[in-house]
Parts: sequence; structure tokens; C-alpha cells
Amino acid sequence: MKRSLVVTAALAVAVAGCSSSGSTSKNIAGSPPLVIHAVDAGTFQEDFNPYHLENVNFGTSGMIYETLEFFNKLKPGEVTPWLALEHAWSDDGKTVTFTLRQGVKWTDGQPFTADDVAFSFDLLGKNAQLNRSALEIAGTKVLAPDKVRLTFKSTSYAKLYNIAGNTPIVPKHLWQKQQDPVTFTNPKPVGTGPYKLSKFSAQLYEMEKNPGYWQPGKPEVPTLKFPAYTANAVQTALQQGELDWAGAFVPDIDKIYVQGKPEINKFFFPPEGVVNLLPNQANPILAKPEVRQAISLAVDRDKIVRVAERGYTKPAHPTSVPMPGGEAYLPAEYKDAAFKVDLEKAKELLKGVDPAKLSFTLLVPSPFTDWVNAAQLIREDLAKIGIKVDTRGVAFADWVSKVGKGDYDLSIRATPSGPTPYFQMRSMLYGDLAQPVGKPGTGNYQRWKDAETDKLIDEYAATEDEAAQRKAVQGLGKIMVEKLPTVPLFYSPAWSQYRTNKYVGWPSEQDPYAMPSPFTSPDAAVVLLHLKPAAK
Amino acid sequence: MRFLARRLGFYLLTAWAAVTLNFLIPRLMPGDPVELLVARMRDNVDPAAIDAMRRAFGISDASLWQQYLDYLGNLAHGELGRSITFFPTEVSTVIADSLPWTVGLVGVATLISYFVGTSLGVLMAWKRGTWLDGVLPAATFMHAVPYFWVALALVFVFGVTLQWFPVSRAYGLEVVPGFTGEFAASVLYHATLPAVTIVVASMADRILGMRNVMVTTLGEDYVVMAEAKGLTSRRVMWAYAARNAILPNITSFALSLGFVVGGSVLTEIVFSYPGIGSMLLKGVENEDFPLMQGIFLVISLAVLVANFLADLAYVVLDPRTRQEAQ
Repeated sequence: MKRSLVVTAALAVAVAGCSSSGSTSKNIAGSPPLVIHAVDAGTFQEDFNPYHLENVNFGTSGMIYETLEFFNKLKPGEVTPWLALEHAWSDDGKTVTFTLRQGVKWTDGQPFTADDVAFSFDLLGKNAQLNRSALEIAGTKVLAPDKVRLTFKSTSYAKLYNIAGNTPIVPKHLWQKQQDPVTFTNPKPVGTGPYKLSKFSAQLYEMEKNPGYWQPGKPEVPTLKFPAYTANAVQTALQQGELDWAGAFVPDIDKIYVQGKPEINKFFFPPEGVVNLLPNQANPILAKPEVRQAISLAVDRDKIVRVAERGYTKPAHPTSVPMPGGEAYLPAEYKDAAFKVDLEKAKELLKGVDPAKLSFTLLVPSPFTDWVNAAQLIREDLAKIGIKVDTRGVAFADWVSKVGKGDYDLSIRATPSGPTPYFQMRSMLYGDLAQPVGKPGTGNYQRWKDAETDKLIDEYAATEDEAAQRKAVQGLGKIMVEKLPTVPLFYSPAWSQYRTNKYVGWPSEQDPYAMPSPFTSPDAAVVLLHLKPAAK
Repeated sequence: MRFLARRLGFYLLTAWAAVTLNFLIPRLMPGDPVELLVARMRDNVDPAAIDAMRRAFGISDASLWQQYLDYLGNLAHGELGRSITFFPTEVSTVIADSLPWTVGLVGVATLISYFVGTSLGVLMAWKRGTWLDGVLPAATFMHAVPYFWVALALVFVFGVTLQWFPVSRAYGLEVVPGFTGEFAASVLYHATLPAVTIVVASMADRILGMRNVMVTTLGEDYVVMAEAKGLTSRRVMWAYAARNAILPNITSFALSLGFVVGGSVLTEIVFSYPGIGSMLLKGVENEDFPLMQGIFLVISLAVLVANFLADLAYVVLDPRTRQEAQ
């Protein structure tokens, strides 16, 4: 059945090719809709409030509502003007002034102005529940129809991404009527973005092109369809070719998705943050740097990536900086560093440690089967140097709670990612985030405390000079290599599968212009703006 | 009447116990919903915003006792709160949206399985020694197989390999929900495989149960007497034997009606059916206290009501219970 379907599809393509006989017509009206799966969902709720965290329907931010600037996470430092043309910081880093693009219109025809930007940030200042980036907004001031000044309570250079790259701007004239923006579900969203909502039901919503979009001639994809798929249904959908763009973990991608057609059924899994083996420094043995060094030397990351991660990602750079892309953030002396297994040296390092005490439990969330497999491999590797590891798979909630409270010896956890490696470094290493054992933390789960680390992180946050910021991150990378506060394993892959039979121009390793995953916003909207109909 | 009053008192007590357990059990799970949310979003949330989220979701640090009193108070006003998973949707809306799918699918499937299974059981007991005996090993087999396995097998054969039936969702993507023939047809088409799963997997119980009781009943003196009177075999089979043999099956039917609301969680998950079972799974995964409480409440009330109906049916069907009651 499947094979005959493929033949039919091939025939259809052939017939279409004959009828348009050579003309590479790019007729937009006739362009097919793009079917997207971003997040697993059985049904959708009618929520298009871009400030809602999880349940907001995907595409609200990016495709409907836009941000002031676009930060390319795959090319740290690459910032594209979007609704704002430029920004200027005050000398103390507490005030930033944005110059806005003119001629942008909301989809109801009203012009987009500085009032909207000021209103959006005031909204976050007044409603802490919606202020997900915890921006310390002190005030906003409209200087001109295209100029707005935002004031913050503390130096906020390092938060530029959160301010300009991750805060969607909403229309004042519609939102100011809302009594309670926290529970507002915004069923009829009006934005500045390339798409507007055209249809909503519990199983499917659709967006259509905004004809008055400020980027002329774009987007070239006229309609987007978002069907609801649960995690297991999406596998079948990928297999049967129902989806054009998905961001899913597929267990055996060659068999289930590629199906012998790598030129159409493509995938690209760039690094997004790093997965670490966390050594809890509340444990006196793991607090010894030589023990962490020995662990790192014994772990065969190539094997973990090949076996547990199915080759979908790459072993991490010893600095943990995502590569490729993060070259400028590598300390000069470790530019070409790479992890290498060296059991002899590891044993040497452990000589001064009582072997009876080299026994740890490794806590992993059992639903993450790849991490469970990685944990088994780590157990085998560490046994070779005399470290006894007891791997324990626990329920997701239990794992979150235990790692948060520091109630573990070893565990595996991913870091957040941001437009520069600073974001992951801060979450991994900042001393202020290290909570005492027993109190749930929100980062630095291994409880690393080091004055030099904190100094570098503070230095990055205190300047807008990119060279100085890079230097701070390089310093942090050096600490990662020399002191191993955490043991980097491999990069978290950002899942994305895309088919080139309808549209081309997707991000790739050669042209990483945005995160390719459909669940990353506003990157997904940037991807859509790059797509062109495939030549028939 | 005293019998009914006593039963009613018992049900009220059970309802209170159920409500209290609904409150307690979700809170015994480790961790809290916001921590889980942050971990699931790969920590891509500013630590300082976590407090904001706690406030938005209405997660309080009040004592358990105070929370319990608030919960009972809200319940008395019919308020179930807002779901955390589907924030800011109200729990009552989530339940109202998903319950009809479950009741429709599992309810109809349970009715079919009950009637077909019971009738087959009666026939098999009556016509022992004929080809119908061949159904017995098949039924025993189906009785032993877990029903999610049946679901997976059906999905593989009829959904993926033959592609006769859709394998997920409650209706087609291209159909607009509404009172149209097209929508109804799509719903029926999509419900076929999950319904067949439930019927096939639960029918075996009915067949075996009914057949076994029926065989015992057929040996009773009053059945021999009815046959000796020269009644038609049909009348003996249904009015004499089956009517007596069906009592235990009524109880199990009433109980299974109660569980209709609980849904066939696994069936709904395998078929991505947007019923209450899928919602419960989401609620548990996210430690969504309000949603779990709401769904558990609806399930426990449904089981209680179904039990009460079974009690009533018993009184009507079996004169002996009426005598004892007086």
C-alpha cells in the first residue's frame, strides 16, 4: 500500500511537471498549504495570548506577533532589525531607546507605533504573571511616534535578547480594553506578523498570509495548517508524509521518515544547549576536581552519541560552547580541544581517593530513554576506573524534584540555550543560583560556587561591548575545561524534519539563518519568510 | 424505603471520602507543577519568573488544611478552578470539552459489547456441543490479552498496513465540527477502530461470565420444569434461564457504566482520542492539581451514581432483595 502510494505521488509529480512543461511558475495563489507540527497536543485550546507560557498555540509569537529584533541562536552575535531598526543603551545600561520601523500596520489596518511598544512593556511591568523574562521594568516613555525609551531598575545589557528578541509586541488599541490580561485568551489575535489566524477548531487551526505585511512579497507560503498530533501519532504522520515540517524525536529516522529519499525528506538537528553529567558538589568526593576530571576522562562520549543518541548529535566541546557557531567564544588555548578517553590518566588522578568512597548513584528520568541508555554506558565506562555507579531511573517529576533540591550524587540534565553561550553558562554556573541542599534551585543544580566564575558572569552582564562579552565567555569556557564544574556530554539536538517537495529554502548546516525547529519562536516565522515554492 | 435511605447515606459518606482522596493523592506526588514546567521547557525560563508563574497558576503555600477547606468551599460553589496544563482554561471547560467524546465512544462501545456478549453467552450455554463452542477458546484468549495490545495490533493492521481506518483523532482534519452529516460520518469513521478495540477486549468477559452462570442455571429444577411443561425452547432460554442468570452481569454492567466516564485511558492514548482519559494523562504528567481533582471527581461521582443505579435495578429485577429490604 505504502509503495503504491509513493508511486502515485511520483506519477502526480511527473504529470504536474509535464503540464507546466518547463515553466518554473511560482504562482502564489496556487501554492499548497504547509502542514506543521510544533508541539505534541491531543487538542488545542483557543489561546492566542503571546505572553502565556506553555499552552499558547504555537505561531502566536513570531507568525502573528513580532519582536523588536531577531537573534540568530545558530550564529551568536547575529542580530537582525525587525520591528525596531536600532537600539541605543544609556551608559549605565539601565535605559535603552529603540527606533522603530515606520509603515508597519496591524492586521486591522491601524498603524504600529511607539505607543504599542510602550504599552506592551508596561503590561509586563504591571502583570508579573506575564513577565516570563523577569524584566525589571521601571518605566517607559514614548519620545516620538517611532522612538520609545525603556527604563530598567538594574543594568540590563545581558537582557537585550529577552527585551528585544523575546518579547512580542501587542496592539495597545485592542489590549488596553482587557480587564485581566493574565487570563485573556485573545481568540481573535491582531498582530503585525506575516500571518493571521484564519480558522480554529480543537483539532486544527490555520493561518493565512497577511497581505499587508511590511516585508514586500512575503511570505510566499499562503496558508499554514497546524493539526493536533500526540507524540505517537506524529510518528505515523511523518511516516505517511502528512507533515511538511515537524520537530519530533524519531527513533529510527532513516526507516520511519527518510524512507530512502534523503533529497526530499530532510532533517537538521543543530545544537541547542548542552547535556551535562552533573556532579553534585554537595557530595564531598565529587567536590574534588580530580574526581570530576577522572570521570570526564573515562566517559566515552563518541560511543554515547552513537549508541544512546543514535548519532543525532555531536559530543560537546570541552568548553560546552555550542559548535559550530560559537567559534568566537572559545578561549584561544582550547580552540581545538576535544574530549578524549584516557583511562590510565583517570586512574592516576584517583590514586589519592579512598576507593571505597568511589560509589555514586546516577539519577535519570526514566521517560528519557536516550539518557537512560547513556547512563548505562557511563556506568560501564566508570567501572573501568574503579568508580561504582548505580544508575537509577525515576519518574520525571521525581527527577525534577530531586535534582532541583540537590538530593542526588550524579545526574544528567540539559541547559537552556540563548543567543550566546552566556545564557547556558549563567544557568549552569552562576553562584547566585546555587541553593542550599534541600531547597529547590532553578539552575546550577550541581551547586558550583566559585568567585572567579561569578565575576566573569557579572562582567558579561555589565557591558554591551561584544568583545568584552566574548572575553567573559572565553574565561568561563576556560573554567569549564580546567575545573569541570559540570561534565559536558553532548549537545541537545533541536529537532526538525522538513520536506522539500512543496517548499525550499530551509535552514541547513551550510546556511544556518535561524533555528530550524518549528517549536522555536520567533525563529519559525523567520524560516517561513525564507521559504519559496519548490520548482516543479 | 429504609433500604434506599440507608444506601443513600452510604453513598454520601463514600462521596466525601472520594472528594478528600481526590484532594490528597495529587498532592502526595513529588515536585510541583511549575518546576515540572520549567524542566520540560529545558530550563528556558528566567529563574526570577518562576514566582510569577506560581502566582498566575494560583499555587499557594498555605497549609494543607487551609487548602482543603478552600477546595471544599470552591467545590460547594461548583468551582473547579483553572487548569495549569491548559492555563487559563477552566477545568470545567476542559472536562466539558472532553467528556462527550469519552461518553460517546466508550459508552456506545460498552453497550454494544454488553448486548452482544451477553447474548452470545446465553446462546453458547444453550447450544453446548455445537460449533458455537469454538468461540470459547477465542473468548478466553481475548480475556487474557491486555486491551491496549489489541489496540496496537488493530492500529498496525488496519491503520498503518492496510490504511482502511484513521489511527488518530476524533474526526477528520478537513471536517468542520457541527451538526452535519459529513461531520457525523467522520466521527463514526474515526471511532470505528477504538470502538472495536473496546468491544473486542471487553466482550470476552461478558461472554464467559454469562455462559458460566447460564450453565449453572440451566441445571436448576425450574428450568427442567419449564422444559417439561413443553414451553418453547426460546421462552425457556430467555425468560426462565437468562433472566435469572443475568443478575451478576447487571452488577458488572452498572460498574462498567461508571467506568465509561473514567474512559479507557489506554485506548484513548493509543488512538489520540481527545477524551477525558487523554486529559487525565496530561494532568498527571504536569501535576495539574486542579485538573486531576476535577477529573477524579467526575469519575468517582459517575461510579457512585452507576452503583446506585445498579442497586435500584437489583431491587426491581430480584424480588428477593425487595423482601429483605422490608
